[in-house]
Amino acid sequence: MARTVTRRSVLRTGWKIGGGLLVAAAGWTSYELLRPLTSTAAGGKISVGNKADFEVGKAKYYAEGRLYVTAVNDPTTNKPQLFALAQKCPHLGCRVPFCDSSGRFECNCHGSIFNLAGEWIQGPAPRGMDSHPLTVDASGNVVVDTSKTTSGPDHSSNVYSKTAKGPACAGGNG
Amino acid sequence: MTDQIVDTDPDSPSPERSGLEPGGYPVAEGPFQAVQRSEAWQSVFRHPQLDTPRGRALQSFSNVFLHIYPVKVPARVLRLRYSFRLGYIATVLFAILLATGVYLMFFYTPSVTSAYGDMQKLRTGVGFGQLVRNVHRWSAHLMVLVVIIHLARVFYAGAYKRPRQFNWVLGVGLLAITLGFSFTGYLLPWDQLSYWAVTVGTGLVNYIPIFGSTVRDLLIGGEQIGQATLLRFYALHVAVLPISLALLLTVHIWRVRKDGFAVQRGGHGAFAEEATELPEMNVVLPPAVGTAAAEPPVSSVPAVAPPDDGRRVRLLGVVDRQSVTAEERLTDDTVFTWPHLLVRHVVVGLGTSAVVLALGVFFAAPLRGIANPNLTPEPAKAPWYFVGLQELLNHFDPLVAGIFVPTAAFVVFVLLPYIDRNPYTEARRRKVAITIFTTVLVVAVSLTVVGALFRGPGWQLIAPWRRSYLEL
Repeated sequence: MARTVTRRSVLRTGWKIGGGLLVAAAGWTSYELLRPLTSTAAGGKISVGNKADFEVGKAKYYAEGRLYVTAVNDPTTNKPQLFALAQKCPHLGCRVPFCDSSGRFECNCHGSIFNLAGEWIQGPAPRGMDSHPLTVDASGNVVVDTSKTTSGPDHSSNVYSKTAKGPACAGGNG
Repeated sequence: MTDQIVDTDPDSPSPERSGLEPGGYPVAEGPFQAVQRSEAWQSVFRHPQLDTPRGRALQSFSNVFLHIYPVKVPARVLRLRYSFRLGYIATVLFAILLATGVYLMFFYTPSVTSAYGDMQKLRTGVGFGQLVRNVHRWSAHLMVLVVIIHLARVFYAGAYKRPRQFNWVLGVGLLAITLGFSFTGYLLPWDQLSYWAVTVGTGLVNYIPIFGSTVRDLLIGGEQIGQATLLRFYALHVAVLPISLALLLTVHIWRVRKDGFAVQRGGHGAFAEEATELPEMNVVLPPAVGTAAAEPPVSSVPAVAPPDDGRRVRLLGVVDRQSVTAEERLTDDTVFTWPHLLVRHVVVGLGTSAVVLALGVFFAAPLRGIANPNLTPEPAKAPWYFVGLQELLNHFDPLVAGIFVPTAAFVVFVLLPYIDRNPYTEARRRKVAITIFTTVLVVAVSLTVVGALFRGPGWQLIAPWRRSYLEL
């Protein structure tokens, strides 16, 4: 028996499809409306000074890009290497403070610790600190592109020194 | 609409019924009686308040707000132990939150430059501002707590089972909305506590695979918490969530009535079915259920009860007989909602108000320094109802703690009535379900207690009596 197509069934199906399209359109427009268009906070290129200004083992903070620029000794080439690390902890988004006495990033929110290259040392963070690409031009000016973010290295990454040079800041004196 | 009520209650003498017909207002003289006889009065109050079964039924029928109650309820419903009035208390708290929330809206601007100043002005420059804010804050926390206990109570009573499965699902939805309310409200004072609790709370969303970061972006409206987030949370808090909750709550309460009360009946096990109104496509109830199940579906019920042994009252509403407003009760087992249940509700409502008022008088809602994205607090905790998740995340891989456990728990929670096929409601016949639920509950409470009370800077364990890092 062939299924008969009635006017009623065509209309009924039409209404269902139309209703579905309407819901989909409403969902899509709502999403487009509420989606943050460009991340206004980050996104631009930030000039952070000259290459020579950075001292190995130290971190400089740039509030306008919400990032740190650190200089670390590359163990293979034994030359200083620069990193632009996002301040946001990959754990739950706290700002990770730099501890001068230990020379490491120590998050006092939940105790995650990272080295100057952003590699994970301990704590609940699922990976190392996220980083932004940085370029050094011929005259040594360092520019960080905050529109791009690279996810931090995973826990096994162990290229740079992870030892603390002194006492830790977090976890004791509130 | 026919105004027909068949009342076979023996202690309802027929002469009083004539008092319900038009013009049946008291004939006694006096200024108030004169007002009562006026056309204006009678256009508002359709009938006098009569202390007869029919009069009490009419109180419910002729009042749109009382329609949410059944006209008669099983007498056991009146006992505090029956439900501990938890759902009702949650509703009262919601009403208090609406009232205090509207008051707070008069003094608050959702802008990062003025929100914090508004909070301070509210404390110092607005009459009773601090008190209203305190009451709002404590009612909010209490509402989350009461809704969770309500859910646990319903579980232990087995009251989510057929025919109430869908009402359980609605209830879980209401819990989600309640949490959304509390969480969005948390940000509005724009102090350090709100800023970092919401940072951490939205950070948890990031752990959802694939669409986690999209959801987070939609929620906070940018790279980090700022003006867009504050405005979004405000709109959710004062418009989207109240409307959603009001709609869902209406359906939830209406279904309590339509699905019938879970009533414990002697000799038939714990909470056997006693549907107020059985739907036409009558479900086949388990054999242990009792007399209610033996009744035919409502559609075939005649207008006047067939002469049984005289122990039944059949009350047909003023609505169309074809719809499902027939109620059947053993005469010794039901009472009129008006006034019996209503009086109890008024008392519980007043008690709830007194508790939150006392909390508001004696405990100030916290207000820390202004939100500072560059000053990370030690430690940063999510609001207490999410701290368990944060604590879990500290022990397990994010894939497990952030995705598997919450998702599985949520799905099982929502679908519980459809997963748990055991028809029995007595505890001794559902040992597995009760064991699993109790284990989950104990683990969740323990994680929350550890996270909220025993965690200090750097998420190190610290005894709360040495220094408390609990933030409410």
